Amino acid sequence: MKQAEAPPDASWSGPSHPGVKSPSPIVMPDPARRFAATAARLDHLATGHPMEPWLRFLARLARAQHRVSTTLAPAGMVDPQAVARATEARMPPLAADGHHRDASWREGLTSVLDHVQHPDADLPPATLDAIDTLRHTDIAALEGQANNFLRGHVPPADIGAAVFIAAALQVYFTGSAARLDAADLRLLEQRSLCPCCGSPSVSGVITATGLIPGTRYLYCSMCSTAWNHTRTVCVTCGGTRKLTQEGIEGDAGLVKLETCAECHTYSKLLYQVRDTQVDPYADDLASLGLELMVSEEGFARHAPNPLLLTGDSEEDIG
Amino acid sequence: MPLTRREFLKVTGMGLAAGSLGMLGFGASGVAQAAAVRPFKLAHATETRNTCTYCSVACGILIYSMGDRAKNALSNIIHIEGDPDHPVNRGTLCPKGSALLDIVHAPTRLKAPRYRKPGGTEFEEVSWDFALDRIARLMKEDRDKHFITQNAAGTTVNRWISTGMLAASASSSETAYLTWKVARSLGMVVFDNQARV
Repeated sequence: MKQAEAPPDASWSGPSHPGVKSPSPIVMPDPARRFAATAARLDHLATGHPMEPWLRFLARLARAQHRVSTTLAPAGMVDPQAVARATEARMPPLAADGHHRDASWREGLTSVLDHVQHPDADLPPATLDAIDTLRHTDIAALEGQANNFLRGHVPPADIGAAVFIAAALQVYFTGSAARLDAADLRLLEQRSLCPCCGSPSVSGVITATGLIPGTRYLYCSMCSTAWNHTRTVCVTCGGTRKLTQEGIEGDAGLVKLETCAECHTYSKLLYQVRDTQVDPYADDLASLGLELMVSEEGFARHAPNPLLLTGDSEEDIG
Repeated sequence: MPLTRREFLKVTGMGLAAGSLGMLGFGASGVAQAAAVRPFKLAHATETRNTCTYCSVACGILIYSMGDRAKNALSNIIHIEGDPDHPVNRGTLCPKGSALLDIVHAPTRLKAPRYRKPGGTEFEEVSWDFALDRIARLMKEDRDKHFITQNAAGTTVNRWISTGMLAASASSSETAYLTWKVARSLGMVVFDNQARV
């Protein structure tokens, strides 16, 4: 249409919502599929993997999480007004380290332990010890361990037990998150943290399907919520100038680590286009080899996977 | 907001032994994993944001190159795709944009100014100094000859309409501002940006 010309008077006959769409900023988890998918993928990846015994154990743990998340009654609804207040203030409504936990998570923990410690499971003595210790820990101590874990200070003696506490908390927070509506949440200003519970992510999936293929979704380490994070932007410091993607020469290109030479951290990228079965949790746990290689170059992981905490000489554990 | 649970941890053999793996009795898995990656090498790549060079839509693109910028290694562009985060195109590209990799590597790609003498038949490569001097000289001659200071009614107009300028498609606001200042200060009025063609 030329300038100053009269607009056409015929009605629009094109698509009803034409133009370029934007990706959904937040995707809520589905507790009925989240842990089953991780378990199936871990079993698939474990075959022939150098860490096969560990991955089989994690698959077992994920199956236990699935059973608990599909049978245990979820915690009570969060007050919608509290959600609105939190999002208004740009705070995560289920803030994992401040949120008042429902006692049901401990029931979940007992159930997870029961499912993992099945008579035909061949578990190492250290695992059985950790389970046994947890079973004999009183309520106050358990809550204390959960608080320590959520605040990032796990004493060296509790590292083994922390895996089971983390697993139970994942089930609890995933169930709670699933009861919220993505439309009621807002991305946080600190984009690397979960808009639902404020936890860091385990990995980022570069989608190959959906409305806009190629967008990055970070997956929360606690409540399994996925949120959009701009690609080629460092998850830790937001830097864009010194990012490099590291992969293993000659592999399938499914897993890459995005390293940032400004803050010396890396985060994981999983390319769904390389394998449509990719799972943000299972593939993260199964790609430790690449992390070992990149750590040797002096980079640190942006945040630990709660099921794979690492110790260090200062005994300060993520 | 405090960044809880964001301790920056290096993944090392010792860290694994003191962490979940070792404490639950799966230390051997960590050792096996460390041994399994030893024969392998890292492949470095970079992903760079840019704007498509073609038209005024100014689609966002991601350019992939092999090699590590930080280590001054020779890098080579291997792939270009639409930027899914760019609000203009959300990852889509037109057929011309999808073929951008070919203009990057085209043997006929213009990499230096070229000059064809009046009456000559061949272009020859020249230095930027030569090209800019020549452009400035021709602009000055033309402006001196055709500059209009007053219109028929005697009003001062100071315009130069015998030379025009077309500026680029991927200009930032700052570039556009400078382009405008340079062209307009010469009195040039035949002037447009590729960004709105």
